[in-house]
Amino acid sequence: MSLSESLLHRDPAPGRGTIGRPPDYLHDEHTLRSWFFSIDHKRIGILYLLSITFFFVLGSIAAGLIRLSLVVPNGAIFSNDTYNKLFTIHGVVMVWFFLIPSIPTTFGNFLLPIMIGARDVAFPRLNRLSWYIFVCGALFTLFTIVVGGVDTGWTFYAPFSTTFSNTWVIPALLGVIVVGFSSILTGLNFVVTLHTMRAPGMTWFRLPIFCWTMYATSLIFLLATPVITIALLLLVLERAFGIGIFDPALGGDPVLFEHLFWFYSHPAVYIMVLPGMGVISEIVPAFAQKKLFGYRFVAYASLGLASLTFFVWGHHMFVNGQSEVASLSFSLLSFAVAVPSAVKVYNWTATIYKGSIKLDTPMLYAMGYIGLFVLGGLTGLFLATLAIDEHVHDTYFVVAHFHYIMVGGTALAFLGGLHYWWPKFTGRMYPEGWGRVSAFFIFIGFNTTFFPQFLLGYLGMPRRYHTYPPEFQLLNILSSAGSLILALGYIFPMIYLVWSLRYGKRAPANPWHARGLEWMTTSPPPKHNFETPPTVDFEPYDYRDRESRV
Amino acid sequence: MRPVLSYVAAALPVDIALEEQFTTKAQQRHAAKFGMWCWLITELLLFGGLLLVATVLRVLHPASVSAAATHLKFWIGASNTVVLICSSLTMSGAINASRLGLQTLMVRCMLATGGLGSVFLLLKAYEYYRDYQEHMVPFLDWRPYALPHDHASRLFINDYFAATGLHGVHLITGIAILLVLTRQASRAGYLSLHQNRIEIFGLYWHFIDLVWIIVFPTLYLVNRG
Repeated sequence: MSLSESLLHRDPAPGRGTIGRPPDYLHDEHTLRSWFFSIDHKRIGILYLLSITFFFVLGSIAAGLIRLSLVVPNGAIFSNDTYNKLFTIHGVVMVWFFLIPSIPTTFGNFLLPIMIGARDVAFPRLNRLSWYIFVCGALFTLFTIVVGGVDTGWTFYAPFSTTFSNTWVIPALLGVIVVGFSSILTGLNFVVTLHTMRAPGMTWFRLPIFCWTMYATSLIFLLATPVITIALLLLVLERAFGIGIFDPALGGDPVLFEHLFWFYSHPAVYIMVLPGMGVISEIVPAFAQKKLFGYRFVAYASLGLASLTFFVWGHHMFVNGQSEVASLSFSLLSFAVAVPSAVKVYNWTATIYKGSIKLDTPMLYAMGYIGLFVLGGLTGLFLATLAIDEHVHDTYFVVAHFHYIMVGGTALAFLGGLHYWWPKFTGRMYPEGWGRVSAFFIFIGFNTTFFPQFLLGYLGMPRRYHTYPPEFQLLNILSSAGSLILALGYIFPMIYLVWSLRYGKRAPANPWHARGLEWMTTSPPPKHNFETPPTVDFEPYDYRDRESRV
Repeated sequence: MRPVLSYVAAALPVDIALEEQFTTKAQQRHAAKFGMWCWLITELLLFGGLLLVATVLRVLHPASVSAAATHLKFWIGASNTVVLICSSLTMSGAINASRLGLQTLMVRCMLATGGLGSVFLLLKAYEYYRDYQEHMVPFLDWRPYALPHDHASRLFINDYFAATGLHGVHLITGIAILLVLTRQASRAGYLSLHQNRIEIFGLYWHFIDLVWIIVFPTLYLVNRG
């Protein structure tokens, strides 16, 4: 009897005794040393989870203060300089220390080797090193915040960052440069792991879509991150030693910096979004109990997005004087991005159609994700249109658009995935009722916060400004009130997930009756993931038997 | 010098030790090599940014770039190209020796590689010194720049220092790793446990060579005309 047959129809009973079973990865060793020097991908994933949660809280506090400041139109609460530092810290921390590492380093590290039936990633020591590099970059950033902050915005545009800013630009840049290497090493590890570590029978087209999106993300890590490393390094050299490249006083070209910056930072958007798409592609079939519709299309769409994303950076620069031919080309290519994105959305929707849907917490997040991603994606088309972009460029319309993708997309997918795999990570169930309540709070809070910003932007309120005309106050107060609801939605899971570690129901191996290798091992998994090395003889998302029963 | 046959007689078993995350040694070898290739692609894009800057500057300010490029020391750069190509030759000698289990020959080839790398660095340092003497170091405040009215040429020279400096950092790193590796690899039994590390390092070394082969024409050659 093959592994798939023996495990397909039974879920091990909850709380089954541990006699004769190797201890799971959480109980294998207990010392701090065994955590901080662990090369187990699961423990490294947990270390990352704690680190990025810390930075998420930090970035959220900055966001809360920004919203607090914008309650009044005259900017009476903070000084201009403080406000500039707040939105810079919010951006730097959220982009580089939460969104980019979030799903790959936590779920990716934890699940990727299990999903392909491997004992670990290809280079476990390199994996540990990447966490230490992350911490090193984090220290630079924390140093920047403690000694006085930085006011360039997360984009570090020259020549303000190189010549005019009087804040701690260099440590902030070093933090981003260092954390980039951590991303590169994680990406490298995943690419090699996916190519060389798959279990017997685990062909490329039997990989869960999550693995495909991790692959696409890792390619972007490898190909785009070094470009921002060198661009920011040149900024450091220019600021510290006067080795200028971008300084217009010398005939240099600040727009060149924008090109180099967005050559990475647009693909970085897909570093943030693709893993979220992978998470949704796991959750939706599990809670519709139905095979993922159009598996190959979704897999190819991930690679399509990863390739297209390298050719659209110019749409960040429509109003900075680039040639019309360039603008038109970038506009056209940006429209093309909608195709693979839409393929994914239609496929998720078609998967839900006629499924036996269970609206548990992860599915609520997934449904929220699909709705918000569609809204964020469609407003992206507005911005890719040259004429409309002239009007809404650098306004709150842009802010709302990318928050719909980044928060409505990535953060919701992150939380959905966290609930979905929480039983696997910890061996405990989270309280379902609280989970649904907080998912609801986040959806309502998110829309109340960011939908008014579309209106504000369309009416002409520029981003990054501290003061605004009084007629915008109502919408700003609405947005700030929404951020309070959103904050509640974030605080609930932090409390009940920690609570569940001790008081949650013990999780069975497969609480969602889901498919995939990660559900065929115990919750939490043993140190080397499987008691016996698996052989794969089944297709991904093999929910057919349940479908026929429905 | 010992006759070649004596090296053959001293041939040792060649293998690698299986690490616990892998199932087979072939898988482990493949993963290690593949991982290094991924790293090199990343590195290539790191240099790509600087080379792009050089190309953009050439398009934006062709006269200034030419004026600056004629101050680069072509013959030192050319000699360094030869030195690095020779070092790649000795490195591939080391790799082949390691495959055959000829530990002594391998260690000597690795030392020769490190020596040639150091020659490159010495020549490069001399070149920087000449640049300094000729007032071609625009970012030093106390050293008036030789082409004071040509602002754009400063950018090109700055990029030259950034690119060759970054390459130098890679070479210094490479030599440091090479020395440590040579020390480890000269121990008895090394080749039966970690032979593939020589191959992996070899890839990195060839890459340093290759980057110079791209940097040299981009900075020195195409702007001379």
